Amino acid sequence: MIMRLIPLFGLVTLALLSNENTYAQIKNAKIATAKILGNTTAAKTIIEKEGSTKSAKVDWNQTTKLAVITYDSSKTSEDEVLKRVALVGFDNEKFLAPNDAYAQLAKAEQYERVLKPASKNRAEQQADHNNHSQGGQIADHVSAAEKAKLADEKTAFAQLVNSYFALKDALVKTDAVAAAAQAETFQAAIKTVDMNKLSHDEHTIWMKVMSKLATDATGISKNKDVAKQRVAFASLSNAMYELLKVSKLNGPIYYQHCPMFNEGKGAHWLSKENAVKNPFFGAQMISCGSIVETLN
Amino acid sequence: MNMLKKSNILTVVLLLMAQLTVLAQKVVRHDLYVRDTIVNYAGKSKRAIAVNGQIPMPTLTFTEGDTAEIVVHNELKESTSLHWHGIFLPNKEDGVPHLTQEPIKANSTYTYRFPIIQHGTHWYHSHSGLQEQIGMYGSLILNKRADDKTFRKGIDDLPTIPVILSEWTNYNPDNIQRMLHTANDWAAIKKGATQSYVEAIKEGKFKTKVTNEWKRQLAMDVSDVYYDKVLMNGAHSTDLKSVNGKALKAGDKVRLRISNGGASSYFWLRYAGGKITVVANDGNDVVPVEVDRLMIAVSETYDVVVTIPNEGTAYEFMATTEDRTQSASYFVGNGIKQLISPLPRLKYFEGMKMMNDMMKMNGDLNDMGMKMSLNQMDMNVVMYPEITGDGKKKEDHNKHSGMDHGQMNMDEDPNRYNANALGDIVTLNYAMLESPQATELPKEAPIRDLKFTLTGNMSRYVWSMDNKILSETDKIPVKKGEVLRITIYNNSMMRHPIHLHGFDFRLLNGKGAKAPLKNVVDIMPMETDTIEFLANEEGDWFFHCHILYHMMAGMNRVFAVDDYKNPYLPDKAKAYKELQMESNMTHFMAQNDFATNGNDGQAMFQNARWQLGSEWRLGYNDMHGYEVETHLGRFFGKMQWFMPFVGFDYRYRRMGEDEHEKNIFGQANKKDSRKAVSLGFMYTLPMLVNFQAEVYHDGIVRLQLMREDIPISRRIRGDFMVNSDLEYMAGLNYVITKNMAFRTHYDSDMGFGVGLSLNY
Repeated sequence: MIMRLIPLFGLVTLALLSNENTYAQIKNAKIATAKILGNTTAAKTIIEKEGSTKSAKVDWNQTTKLAVITYDSSKTSEDEVLKRVALVGFDNEKFLAPNDAYAQLAKAEQYERVLKPASKNRAEQQADHNNHSQGGQIADHVSAAEKAKLADEKTAFAQLVNSYFALKDALVKTDAVAAAAQAETFQAAIKTVDMNKLSHDEHTIWMKVMSKLATDATGISKNKDVAKQRVAFASLSNAMYELLKVSKLNGPIYYQHCPMFNEGKGAHWLSKENAVKNPFFGAQMISCGSIVETLN
Repeated sequence: MNMLKKSNILTVVLLLMAQLTVLAQKVVRHDLYVRDTIVNYAGKSKRAIAVNGQIPMPTLTFTEGDTAEIVVHNELKESTSLHWHGIFLPNKEDGVPHLTQEPIKANSTYTYRFPIIQHGTHWYHSHSGLQEQIGMYGSLILNKRADDKTFRKGIDDLPTIPVILSEWTNYNPDNIQRMLHTANDWAAIKKGATQSYVEAIKEGKFKTKVTNEWKRQLAMDVSDVYYDKVLMNGAHSTDLKSVNGKALKAGDKVRLRISNGGASSYFWLRYAGGKITVVANDGNDVVPVEVDRLMIAVSETYDVVVTIPNEGTAYEFMATTEDRTQSASYFVGNGIKQLISPLPRLKYFEGMKMMNDMMKMNGDLNDMGMKMSLNQMDMNVVMYPEITGDGKKKEDHNKHSGMDHGQMNMDEDPNRYNANALGDIVTLNYAMLESPQATELPKEAPIRDLKFTLTGNMSRYVWSMDNKILSETDKIPVKKGEVLRITIYNNSMMRHPIHLHGFDFRLLNGKGAKAPLKNVVDIMPMETDTIEFLANEEGDWFFHCHILYHMMAGMNRVFAVDDYKNPYLPDKAKAYKELQMESNMTHFMAQNDFATNGNDGQAMFQNARWQLGSEWRLGYNDMHGYEVETHLGRFFGKMQWFMPFVGFDYRYRRMGEDEHEKNIFGQANKKDSRKAVSLGFMYTLPMLVNFQAEVYHDGIVRLQLMREDIPISRRIRGDFMVNSDLEYMAGLNYVITKNMAFRTHYDSDMGFGVGLSLNY
């Protein structure tokens, strides 16, 4: 059996050798096949360029997603090649790309990350979240559809909260463009909240602050002057505080105060972290401020 | 009444004794066989030291209450020792040769025996020479007893793995130490951190480079030694699929007990599976704190908990050297490997600019009133692209803040070095550490305040405290029962992990009664930290920088608590002299250019303060002549820019009949053969130009300006010399290896030459 395989292997090598001159340069050549995710010809270029070195060559097939790796086994290994490919953003059968590397791929190059196990955690968190919001009383007989709907509703509200934090982070970075974009997301989130699904207290406050939230968000999204955005954000934060004070939260939220904003009149904001990162002054006075209250 | 009191005391004493016997019951013995070995970590077979056939040394595990008995079988051809880092023990078991014991001689056996009266993650290592660099480090794990009141459910019962970090170099560490003292910049070439003029110009930082040299600084780096590999438990990459035979699955938490056994490397610790929870530091519990990353200083220990988020995935836990050139990984979990991105390359010229701003002309550092401490302000963040962005982003940042209010720019921002305020990620600093229990010292104990300033310079690699090395100081006498409150200010341009033997100290970090207990405090340039401890154990306790090459350069002190009679050291005074000698070794260097127009070279013996050196220029004929200058000098000052010397010159050359050489002062030197004694001095001028002035016994004066090793490009070094005898020389070196360079130069006496310059 082995005797028969050797000439076969030799033939394959020969065939490869005749195809590509570069193969001839790789000594002690070993060949391996591995799956690498990716969709485009640009991906093929990156994978083959980043994967190949003096002692390794990668030939990736866009349709089958299979890469033929020829490497000098005395100098390198299949793992080393696949690791390099993953580090530039391409998941493969051995390694998952770092999230930041994947995110840095051009939009067109981003593929569905099917090799990455579905995050069990998010589901758990969601369930947790639902439990909390219903006072821990999700009865077993609630149908799956209802659960999903409930989840949707909570998601809409969660999205509103999250886009507030994203907006705040943009202001911390004194990034007017990002702040305007986040304010738009925030506006959209306001519209998706179904107030019938809110608790009694939430509902009351929601009615009170909804229009204010919308106006302030518009004030931010329509303005490219970060100073004006911050004035609107101070007002928006007050409304958010009222709302979150009566909401069931998924974790602690910190109500923080900057004494210097608006010529010493001061302003508040909300944050998920207890470290102070001032959205009213950004890098100028980044950790100026204090925690006034912790919402739980 | 009296009787009653007595019997009470008796009962207490009896109870204590009973308890002691209970505690002392279990003796746990380990035999350690120390042997020379050959290893191949980075492509070459090199000498190392293995204990029981392994590197790192075996993990020693004890439980609080055990008695440790460790038998060292020294099968090396040299002496050795073992120090128990962070352990409370009788001074004679502390393992510092010449201070707490005699060195363990070659082919002899030595027993350490001490009761284990604490718990936590610690480590042990050789305290002899540079043995720690080549394998003599290992984890030392002291478990809590199950009935310990401080036992933390959900932390102390997690699956646990000891991890010891280390580095490997293919160079002989003795050679590394020698090269550091001669300011050989081969390590910088290997790391791509030369910071030469060409590189500066390419990045638009020419002015920064000139200012740096104007301030008489060599290119700064965050570390001095180039390593070929870094290791976690002796391996570059390890798969941690199960702990104690139980396969790891999603949701599992793993506790890593990490010790930094590296000789000179700080490591960043990062995890691909989310936050890292820090639960202990230097063997002492801390209130759990979640961070994205932390830096572990040389010789520190941290216990961290990581969680496996998803099934079917192994998450990378990575240790990366501070200079970001090397890393090692553990993959925690089962399945496909989730990688973490490597840390981006340091922005060296930003660091250089920062250093320029901080450094005064006299070499002192100026913190500009920032009162830095506890690693909260990390000056190095200016070099971290992940915190301060790449060059472009920073400009944007400036523009924005300028647009905003204008009155404050980036250079005045009080947070411009605060990584946690600037970045999206949380980096651990000492201010975040809090002990779960109160750690206050007894109020009635007398307090003694001590101050140390950390000092040193890169160019001669002399590191000291208060500008004194160990060999220039006596032991510091301390009364047993005193509280020592020590304030340490780092006025040098490198960070120093300062370690105290035998005690934990409180690091005063703003947590009041719950100040964390540590035995290593990392102090960055310009930082001031205050520590305090109760000196309640007699003996001579070492207090030193734990960067091995700084320790060997003399950055040490000894606290002598009371007059301890050490049975192993009958002549303590003599032993201390030996210790002082070992921390101020003489180094030899030599260099010669074998050129077409002659041989130029020098040889030098030097220690921290003294230098005996000869320079020669040997032509191939009598016309060109032969010349040797020998100087014996002593360096003064913290920066060591000033060196008075006595000299002896010998020269032979044959000149034409009426040819005489005149110097610019009109003094003529008529002799073909000249022997002269001189007095003079050397002083380092801005731009690192050496100014040398000397007067010979025959009244002839000579002034000389010389600059060596001008970093023109990554591998090209320029040099020039001009003197009042109207001699001059200019040369270029192309560095090929650490010991070899192509050299071309023009010399006013010998003309143009090319050759090969070798150095040792």
